Amino acid sequence: MIMARLLETEKLTIHFGGLAAVNEVDFTIDQGETVGLIGPNGSGKTTFFNLLTGIYKPTGGEIRYCGKDLVGLPTFKIAKQGVARTFQNNRLFLNLSVLDNVLIGMHPQQDSNWFDAIFRRSYVEREIEQGVEKGLELLSQFSEGLLTNCYQRAGDLPQADRRKVEICRALASNPKLLLLDEPSAGMSPAETEELMEDIRKVRQKVGEIGIIIIEHDMAVIRKVADRVIVLNYGRKIAEGTFHEISDNELVLEAYLGREEKDAQA
Amino acid sequence: MLPRTIGRAVILLAVEAFFFILFAAFMKTYETGKVIAFLLFFIGLGVMFKEWEKARLALTGLFKEMKILAGAGFVAMLLTLPFIFQSSPYLIHICVMAGLFAILALGLNFQLGSTNVVNFATAASYGIGAYASALLAVHFHISFWLGLLVGGSLASLFGLLLGIPCMKTKDYYLSLVTIAFGLIIYILLNNFSWTGGPNGIPNIPPPSLFGHSFKEPLSLFGYQLPFQSNYYYLIFLLVGGSLVVAHRLHHSRVGLTWNAIREDEIAARCHGIDVTWYKILAFCIDAFFGGVAGTVYSHYIGFISPENFAFIVSVVVVTMVILGGMDNVFGVIIGAILLTILPEKFRAFEDFRVLIYGLIVVTMLMFRPQGLFPQKMRIYKKES
Repeated sequence: MIMARLLETEKLTIHFGGLAAVNEVDFTIDQGETVGLIGPNGSGKTTFFNLLTGIYKPTGGEIRYCGKDLVGLPTFKIAKQGVARTFQNNRLFLNLSVLDNVLIGMHPQQDSNWFDAIFRRSYVEREIEQGVEKGLELLSQFSEGLLTNCYQRAGDLPQADRRKVEICRALASNPKLLLLDEPSAGMSPAETEELMEDIRKVRQKVGEIGIIIIEHDMAVIRKVADRVIVLNYGRKIAEGTFHEISDNELVLEAYLGREEKDAQA
Repeated sequence: MLPRTIGRAVILLAVEAFFFILFAAFMKTYETGKVIAFLLFFIGLGVMFKEWEKARLALTGLFKEMKILAGAGFVAMLLTLPFIFQSSPYLIHICVMAGLFAILALGLNFQLGSTNVVNFATAASYGIGAYASALLAVHFHISFWLGLLVGGSLASLFGLLLGIPCMKTKDYYLSLVTIAFGLIIYILLNNFSWTGGPNGIPNIPPPSLFGHSFKEPLSLFGYQLPFQSNYYYLIFLLVGGSLVVAHRLHHSRVGLTWNAIREDEIAARCHGIDVTWYKILAFCIDAFFGGVAGTVYSHYIGFISPENFAFIVSVVVVTMVILGGMDNVFGVIIGAILLTILPEKFRAFEDFRVLIYGLIVVTMLMFRPQGLFPQKMRIYKKES
C-alpha cells in the first residue's frame, strides 16, 4: 500500500537576527509514518515545530501539507486543517478540568457559535454530550485513572498524567499530523515505557496518522520512529533509520564532539 | 419518604427566609455602628460555614437536591422586597442600582473573568447605551423598549470598534487602549453640543407599559408601592435574563473557548481557536450588556451627564468582578450587590470610597485572586 505524502518542507529557513535557527531543512513525512527528530539542545527542533504550526513565519522556504501551501497561514487555520501538537514545557489549560481540556481539543470540528449558545440550547447540549462521550472514550484508552478523575483540575495532575492529557487533547481534533515535542521529558523510565505503549496504541487506532516526535531519550526513538532526522545548528545533518543514524559520524560528532579537538584542548 | 422530603423543603425555605430577613434588616440599618455589627455577624457566619464542615455539606447537599425549590423560593422572596421597603423608596433605589451594576459586572465577566481581557471601558458602553436611547427618546419620541435594543446594539458596535485596535496589543497595553477609549467617549460627550455637553440631557421620559407610566406609583394587591418598584421589577427581569445568557454562554463551546484563551493563548491557537475573533466577540457581548444597563439608567434617573460615565465607573465594575469571583456568574452578582450596598451604608466615609476600592482589589489579588466565589469546574451529566 502506498501512503500519500502528508507534509513536505523545502529549504525551510528562519533567521532570528543573524542566527539561522532552522536553515534550509528539507523534510518529508508520509501518512502512517513516525519520524523522529533529534539533535543537541538548541539545534532548532522546537523552532521547526513552531514553523510548521505557524507560530513563527519562515523567512524562506516552503511548507506543503496535503498539497497545500501552509506558509503565512495563521496558527489556528493550520490547526483546523489537522495539525495538532503538544508542547515541550506542557501547555495545558491548568485551571480547567481534564475533560474540559480534551473538549477544547475538539474545537476545530465543532461549530456552535454564540447565537446557538444562547438561543439553540438543544443543539449545544447535543454537541457537548457527543464531545463528552468522545472525550471520555479517549481518556479511557490512555488511563483509567484519568477517566475517574476527569473533573480534576488539570494543574493538580502529576507530570506524566499531564503529558497524557496533552496527547489526548491533541488527538481529540482527529489530526492527520501529530507533533510531539519531547513527550518523555521529566518522566521516569517506567512512565516512559508506558508512554511508548500509548504512542503505539495511537498508531494502531489511527493508522494513517503521521507523527513527528522530538525526543532526547534514544530508547524511545529506537522503538517508535520509522525514520530519524538529525538537526544540528539548524541544519539537517543526517537522515535514515535509527541504525543508520547511530553509526553516522556527523551525528556522533554533533553529540559527542570531535576527537582531535578534544586532544588539542 | 414524603414527610422527610417535606421536612427538608421546610428547612431549606427556613434557611432562605432567615438570610432574606437578615438582608432586609441590614438594608434598614443606617447607623454606622450597627452596620459594622451586622457585617461582623455576616463574616462570622461565613467563617463558621467554612469551618463547620458537617453543616456545610448538609446545607449544600440540601440546596443541590432541591435546586428548583431553592430557586423558586429565592425569586419569590426577592419579588416581595418592594413591599418590605414600601416606606423607604431610597432602599428600593439602592436595589435598582445594584441590579444595574450586576448587569454591567456580568457583561464585564465575559472579558475579565472568562477571557482575561482587562477592559476598563465599561463606562463607555454604559454611556453610549444611555445617550443613544436618551437622545432617541427626547428628540424622536422613540419608546424605551426599542431604545433598549438600539442602545445595546449601538454599544455593541462600539465594542467592536474598540475591539479591533485592541487586538493589536496584549495585556497591560490592551488595558491602556481601553482606558483611552473610555476617556475619549467621556471627553466627546462633554464637548459635543448635541449631547448637551457637560449639562447632559434632562427630562428623559420614563418608560411605560400597557399605559402604565413607570413614573407613577405601582399598585399591587391593594398596596401602593413607590415608583422605584416599577424599575425594581424591570431590573429584576433584566438581571434574570442576563444571568440566563451568561450561564448559557459559560456552559457552551464559546465559554470553554474563552477559558482556553485565558489559560494559554498559544495553546489555544494551536487547537484551532481563532483568538482574535473570540476576544472581539467578548468585547461585543460585554458592550451589549453595558448598553442595556445604560438605557435603563438614563430613563430611570431621567437625567444623564458625562459625569455618570466617568472612568471611576469602569474601575468600580472591575472591582466587582474581582471581588465576586472571576468567571463565576453567581459570584459576580454578589460582588456587584456588595459593592453597591456597602458604600451606601458607609456614607460617612464617602471621601475614602476610591481608596477602599483600591484596597479591595489589592487585598483580593494578594490573598484570594480567584474572588469570594471561585470558578467551579464544569460538570457534565452522565447518563446512568
